[in-house]
Amino acid sequence: MKIIKTLALNLAVASASQAALAADSGFDMQTVDPEADRIALQNYFKARFPETEIADYVNGIYAVDAGSREQWEELEEFPPYEFDVEKGEELFNTPFANGKGYADCFENGGIGIRHKYPYWNKDEGTVKTLEQEINECRTDNDEEPLAWGKGAIAQISAYMAWTSRDKVFDIQIPADDERAKAAYLDGKKFFYAKRGQLNLSCANCHVQGTNIRIRADLPSPQLGHVTHFPVFRSKWGALGTLHRRYSGCHKDSRSKPLKPQTETFRNLEYFQSYMSNGLVANGPGARK
Amino acid sequence: MNKGLIIAIVLIVAVVLFMTQSDKKEVSEPAMTKAPPPVQVEPSPAEPAAPEVSLQEAFEMNRAMYGKGHSFAWNGEQHTTDHPEEIEASKEATQANAEALLASAMAKNAEVAKLGFEWKLTGDILKKAQQSIDQGNFQQALNLAAQAKYHARIGIEQYHYAQANWHLSVPE
Ligand code: HEC
Repeated sequence: MKIIKTLALNLAVASASQAALAADSGFDMQTVDPEADRIALQNYFKARFPETEIADYVNGIYAVDAGSREQWEELEEFPPYEFDVEKGEELFNTPFANGKGYADCFENGGIGIRHKYPYWNKDEGTVKTLEQEINECRTDNDEEPLAWGKGAIAQISAYMAWTSRDKVFDIQIPADDERAKAAYLDGKKFFYAKRGQLNLSCANCHVQGTNIRIRADLPSPQLGHVTHFPVFRSKWGALGTLHRRYSGCHKDSRSKPLKPQTETFRNLEYFQSYMSNGLVANGPGARK
Repeated sequence: MNKGLIIAIVLIVAVVLFMTQSDKKEVSEPAMTKAPPPVQVEPSPAEPAAPEVSLQEAFEMNRAMYGKGHSFAWNGEQHTTDHPEEIEASKEATQANAEALLASAMAKNAEVAKLGFEWKLTGDILKKAQQSIDQGNFQQALNLAAQAKYHARIGIEQYHYAQANWHLSVPE
């Protein structure tokens, strides 16, 4: 219990000293402006961490915490996800029972397209993620869908990310469909709303709380959060998807976590990925 | 129920309330916020000089210092530090009372779940309350159901607070 008290107090200090300015726009369908949000977020982090180049935010906490960066760079010399990328490539190229394969489901045969996800699908009226379309590719070809969090789906996603390294995120929010903007706004609101028994928002840890010690951990800046997924996490001892991470972090506020690929999490990914526009895809990644 | 745990939770709630107060600012409410303010205090009809602290704040302060079952004066009135759920749990420990409180706790939790603000432990607490009823331990069932209902009620308050205030931590 003591741990949690300390946590709440630390964050109280953090939010008091860095309380964001009162806002007067961007919070409803009339005023929401994704590009203004993205620039404001970059400016916020520029002011907080003047030494860090914006392009370096793809490296998560290691972009702002010199202490752990060295260890991580050593880790990256023999990347723990190497095996998973190979396995993912093999899975990707193994034909389904009907003779078709993943390459038939995606633009450009699935190569070098990671940075275009998630995207707004007008026909379906919803945000589509890469993992979702990997599974749809399977079910469309009479294969069983894969479990969302880890294993084969993460490996296939890792291989696809690998083939997209250094491509620049350019998530679009089509102006001709209000529902796309609504999905973005929903994701933004989810990110900034306090919830759970600890009354914490994602932003309390990943904006105001960035690089402020919480128990044994330093939360990363939300800028660049999605660029390197899926991630090989030492704590998991395995590769995991972004939505697996979302569930874990959602639970960290002592909320009952949502399941991977629910609409809310896909909207959250849409918002977070838009925030990463201009940064490069660098998945898969390695984290503690 | 573990007293130490409850006191600690109350302390957290107090700290957290303090935190949420501190990022409250005078802002014009955007059009989409139809929610009431998070601190829901019925204004007293006579409306004397505005008190320095709200009833909610006075409640949390007294609760944190003295625990439940304590009375305090606020704005010329007497109040107790009991949560409404604790008052419900102090009914006679019968099967009927335990089942009724559990049913209302489950309904409240369904309500907060629908809003997307269900807490992590509430579902298990509800399960344990049912087990206690099955074992004939009605006082324990009442206490657990009360705890779960409290979680759900605060979760709903959080939802309304979020509707009106989520934008306060967005960098501008
Ligand atoms: C109690 C603080 C806390 C809360 C609340 C929290 N997180 Fe986290 N989160 C962490 C910590 C600590 C880590 C691990 C260190 C890091 O950021 O890489 C982490 C990791 C992450 C990562 C992986 C970052 C990377 O570089 O691989 C993502 C993405 C993430 N969180 C998103 C979220 C989202 C979305 C929410 C809200 C649902 C959220 N977090 C809520 C503390 C928190």
